[in-house]
Amino acid sequence: MNSVFAELPWMWAGLFAYAIATLLAFRNVWQVGASDVAVLPNRQAEGNILLALVCGVLLIALALAVRWDRLGHGPFVNLFELLMSQLFSLGLIYSIVYWRVPDLRASAVVVMPLIWVLGTWILFMDPVDSRFPPTYHNNWLWAHVGFGKIFLSFSLVAAGLAGVILLRAIPCFTRYFAHMSDAALDQLAWRFMMLTLVFDSLMLIAGAVWAQDAWGRYWSWDALETSSFMTWLSIGAGIHVRLTYNIPTRLGALVILAIFFLAFTTYFGAPYYSEAAHKGVI
Amino acid sequence: MMRWLCRLASTRLTLFGMVFLAIGAGLSYDNPADISVWVLAGPLLLLALNLFAAILTQPGINRRPGLLMFHIGLLSICAMAAIGRLTFYEARVEVSQNSAFDVAAVDEISQGVFHQGELSQVRFVQQGYTVEYRPGLVRGITRSYLQVSDGRGGWLSQVVGDDTPLIIDGYRFYTTFNKGFAAILTWTPGQGEAITGILHMPSYPLFDYKQANSWTPPGSSEEIKFWLRLDTGMDREADWLLDVRNTDALLVVNNGEQRLELQPGQTANLPGGQLRYEALSSWMGYKIFYDPTLKWLFIAAMLTVLGLCLHYWDKFKHQSMTMIKDKQK
Repeated sequence: MNSVFAELPWMWAGLFAYAIATLLAFRNVWQVGASDVAVLPNRQAEGNILLALVCGVLLIALALAVRWDRLGHGPFVNLFELLMSQLFSLGLIYSIVYWRVPDLRASAVVVMPLIWVLGTWILFMDPVDSRFPPTYHNNWLWAHVGFGKIFLSFSLVAAGLAGVILLRAIPCFTRYFAHMSDAALDQLAWRFMMLTLVFDSLMLIAGAVWAQDAWGRYWSWDALETSSFMTWLSIGAGIHVRLTYNIPTRLGALVILAIFFLAFTTYFGAPYYSEAAHKGVI
Repeated sequence: MMRWLCRLASTRLTLFGMVFLAIGAGLSYDNPADISVWVLAGPLLLLALNLFAAILTQPGINRRPGLLMFHIGLLSICAMAAIGRLTFYEARVEVSQNSAFDVAAVDEISQGVFHQGELSQVRFVQQGYTVEYRPGLVRGITRSYLQVSDGRGGWLSQVVGDDTPLIIDGYRFYTTFNKGFAAILTWTPGQGEAITGILHMPSYPLFDYKQANSWTPPGSSEEIKFWLRLDTGMDREADWLLDVRNTDALLVVNNGEQRLELQPGQTANLPGGQLRYEALSSWMGYKIFYDPTLKWLFIAAMLTVLGLCLHYWDKFKHQSMTMIKDKQK
């Protein structure tokens, strides 16, 4: 086997495990909806979904470790590495949340396809090697990236719950999520949005300290900074609107999805929009 | 007065401010020269006033410690950012090897109207530097070796580079990609005192192909052109260390009439005087940055997040979990 691609089989295996988790999530919801009487979700089936998710996380972690060992640096530089590390962190944090908060498990039917957007994307990408820029030898990079991953993961969970709220609004899907209430989903989703605001703020602070060390300025309105500031502002505005005006649940769900879309674009769109998204890369 | 404050504290005004700030942020992308600073300063000022009024008038904010800390933190960040813009200082400077930092050589200065720092008090001496390059001339780690005044007449050795700036009296000196070689020259005119100076060549390896500069001796109208023929050991296909100690350089001198090649230590007779190529040297380009609010901005930002955490902790703790569990409704 070509050593250059040593990490790929592990990553494909991880994606396969995520695919199984996705199919099981759909099957679980379908079984709830197919029943003539109101039934609660099957905890055994949920356990299988969690098992598949954890397997996927472990396999992608292995893929990351192999690549890290091969290149001598972490997955911080190019888009392939960014996608790979996000597949790991989104899967890891969603697994923990899925395990600890049973009330949101129905969101897997929204969350897993969203994770699979990244999974499909990475399958079409060339796993080119990257060079670690000198300005990345900084401990604040770890804090910045770590907080960023938690931020996007919580935003994904909120988007998953918002997706379930909107699915419940479509008559043909209502019975699949009949065991939940909009109010409970809405409250849970906005709690995750509040956590999103905390970790987004921490990500921006850590990034600013790193930028000051690395490039001699803490803020410079480059593509990523502009987009991430708008994301932070939209989360703040969304929470402000939700708490102040008590907007309808479905409108709130749309707001959450819009914020997630903006966050997603910041992560995966800005590097396309500007090659010098973070100037240390060049 | 209270009525006006209540109006100013309007939550709708907050939303308007946020929308305008988002528009301002979008317009500020990549710092276009033709966009006024007011596209950001205006909405920020509006939001700061709105926030201030809300803190004073809204019990929902001023009676909740966490939320109060969060809003005061946001207000402090706005204030710090504004003070920072009024007092900042940015510039660039090239410092020659074995020379002290000279404030007179500072270039491209940009500063806030209330900047009162004392850059002239900064004392350090540039020594050598090394830059690691990987195949394809990909720049790696930069190490710039300095002697920094300890303020008591002594000197301390310090290595800076990339994400480790030299910090003296709040001024931060960052190494840049802009660095290169220089020739130490001594000009002895036919009559008068000999003078020694350093002639900087263009940035290396960016301008590897044109390591040239020119100089006109005092009292002469004849410009002398110089070209450094460098042997740095550069290998585009392999790892390579840029280091003046590993570099040989022949100085090509051209005064229009004659072309001479000098090794370090050699002298040339030119019209009007003698030119001696003393040695090969180097220079490092630094970005200088000063903002007295940096530390306070960081503290304010952390307190803001802490306030948010305290508020959520309090809010979640007191919320009944029964609403989450009412699946059967």
